[in-house]
Amino acid sequence: MSLLQEERKIILSNEYVDNFDFAEVEEFVKNASKDLFISHHFKTIDKMLVQPRGGFPTYKKQFALNEFFVEANVDVLPLTIDSNTRLNDYATAKKMLRLSEENDVDMLNGYPLVNHGYRNTRKMVTHFNKPVSLRHGTPDARLLIETAIASGIFEIEGGPITYLLPYSKNFPLDKAFLYWKYVEKICANYSKLNEPINRESFGPLTATLVPPAITIVIQLLEMLLSLEEGVKSFSVSFSQTGSMNQDIVMGAVIRKLSKHYAEQINCGDATINLVYHQWMGAFPTNKDFAEQLINMSTVIASMVGADKIITKTREEASGIPTKEANAKTVANTQYTLGILNGLPNIVDAEEEEILTLEVHAIMEAVFNDPADTLWRKVFNSIKNGIIDVPFSPHIINHNEMITIRDAKKNIRIIKKGNVPIPDRCFEYEKAQCDLTKDTTSIVNDIIHDIGIMQ
Amino acid sequence: MKVVTGVVGNDIHVVANRLIELSLNARGFEVFNLGVNTYLEEFFDAVVETGADILLISSLNGEAEGWSREIKLLKSKYKNLDNLVMMIGGNLVVGSADADTIVPKYKNYGFDLVFHQVDLNTGLDTLEEFLKERDK
Repeated sequence: MSLLQEERKIILSNEYVDNFDFAEVEEFVKNASKDLFISHHFKTIDKMLVQPRGGFPTYKKQFALNEFFVEANVDVLPLTIDSNTRLNDYATAKKMLRLSEENDVDMLNGYPLVNHGYRNTRKMVTHFNKPVSLRHGTPDARLLIETAIASGIFEIEGGPITYLLPYSKNFPLDKAFLYWKYVEKICANYSKLNEPINRESFGPLTATLVPPAITIVIQLLEMLLSLEEGVKSFSVSFSQTGSMNQDIVMGAVIRKLSKHYAEQINCGDATINLVYHQWMGAFPTNKDFAEQLINMSTVIASMVGADKIITKTREEASGIPTKEANAKTVANTQYTLGILNGLPNIVDAEEEEILTLEVHAIMEAVFNDPADTLWRKVFNSIKNGIIDVPFSPHIINHNEMITIRDAKKNIRIIKKGNVPIPDRCFEYEKAQCDLTKDTTSIVNDIIHDIGIMQ
Repeated sequence: MKVVTGVVGNDIHVVANRLIELSLNARGFEVFNLGVNTYLEEFFDAVVETGADILLISSLNGEAEGWSREIKLLKSKYKNLDNLVMMIGGNLVVGSADADTIVPKYKNYGFDLVFHQVDLNTGLDTLEEFLKERDK
């Protein structure tokens, strides 16, 4: 038995797991409708795909949510997983699912996929015959992804860095790399049977003043870790920064560099897509303003030229949205996309050059780490602060980097910590900001900069 | 002066925690930041280990109330903490309540300074005044 098969056996020996019939699952994937594969839609549809967020505990409510989305002309259905499943606590998820079913009150913040099992979930997925994207936040997603693919969910979000640094204080990062390596291998193996399974990285990270260079480096590294295991379709992503120009620059640089680095490891045959997240920071409590913000995000996504947009709702500031509010955003976003014509082509060569130099410098430092494999190089680089994510709660993160907005609301690095930002770029970043203020006023500015959309 | 700070309980809200660290540093304190998701024992262990003068606990999701009830009992198990300045701030209840009822409650739990939904700089200004008065 191969090591992968042995690991698979261990993961499946768990009392909450479906009895997996892998021969049947392979047959299912092989013969599955092309419409279920987002990778197929990326290849054949020219328009930006619209995908909301959403997950309810019971099958019934999830089914009803999907009906609303389809009614609103959704392109990609989401399946958001509950927090217990994300931490592999299937016992609690089972109990809470039962309470939700018996009392008609939601006791989970998402769909407990492992407990529902792939046989049931597949019925829902094939009924709607739309691509489904798995949204979670799980450091050890091995069982979840086995169950997802067997259910017909052919897009898997996440990664060892982007699902750990924003969400956890002390889950061991090295373990996360190994667990995600398994996920990549499984996705790569199933990709050989039909259209490819698409992997997507979670670019928003902490959604709090993360500078473009850090976001792009992490997107590229998760892409490389995935492609080197054989994944053939990958989406890099980022969220609205607060400056339209910075978003457009970021979109141009990430497209150019993802292609460049994929070719460097001889994976130029893989398809790389770009995903844009509507504003991920704090939302206005005024629901009408929230809709304006969402609409503006859609316009920027079009300027960026994203292949997919992930939507928010007018109820973002108040909690988990109703299915009505959620479907409304989908319909509104589709409308805006339909009327946005004749977009100008904006290029800011100087900003692009600065950002490109920064990303290359950090990537080079990661590659120069003496470790023998890429994941170890990345692990070491996070550990010694070459990669530093502002506002990560994780103990391994350095937290030395400080960022602030300039007069045009671009996110700028004013303290670089151990991140190897080239001198010329660092001088440029600082020159855009007013650094004559004392630290207390700078802290006040940061508080203001975080909440700019409220 | 040394300060131990962090967010109590299973609370993972990190933004204010980083800003507290930056602000304390700017005001010349030596900061030991335990970050989010910190249990009471860890706070007191860190105070002993660093010889801190001030313990600044924060809370955003309101869990602090449940944890704070145990503070007196726990603190009594440690030696030499009589001069420790105990400060707490953030959202100090789950749901809502006004400062008039919250502040006395937390003082009773053993805190010298209590800030419910007060802005960071006001809280730290008050801390500095408190220290000045005490050292007169």
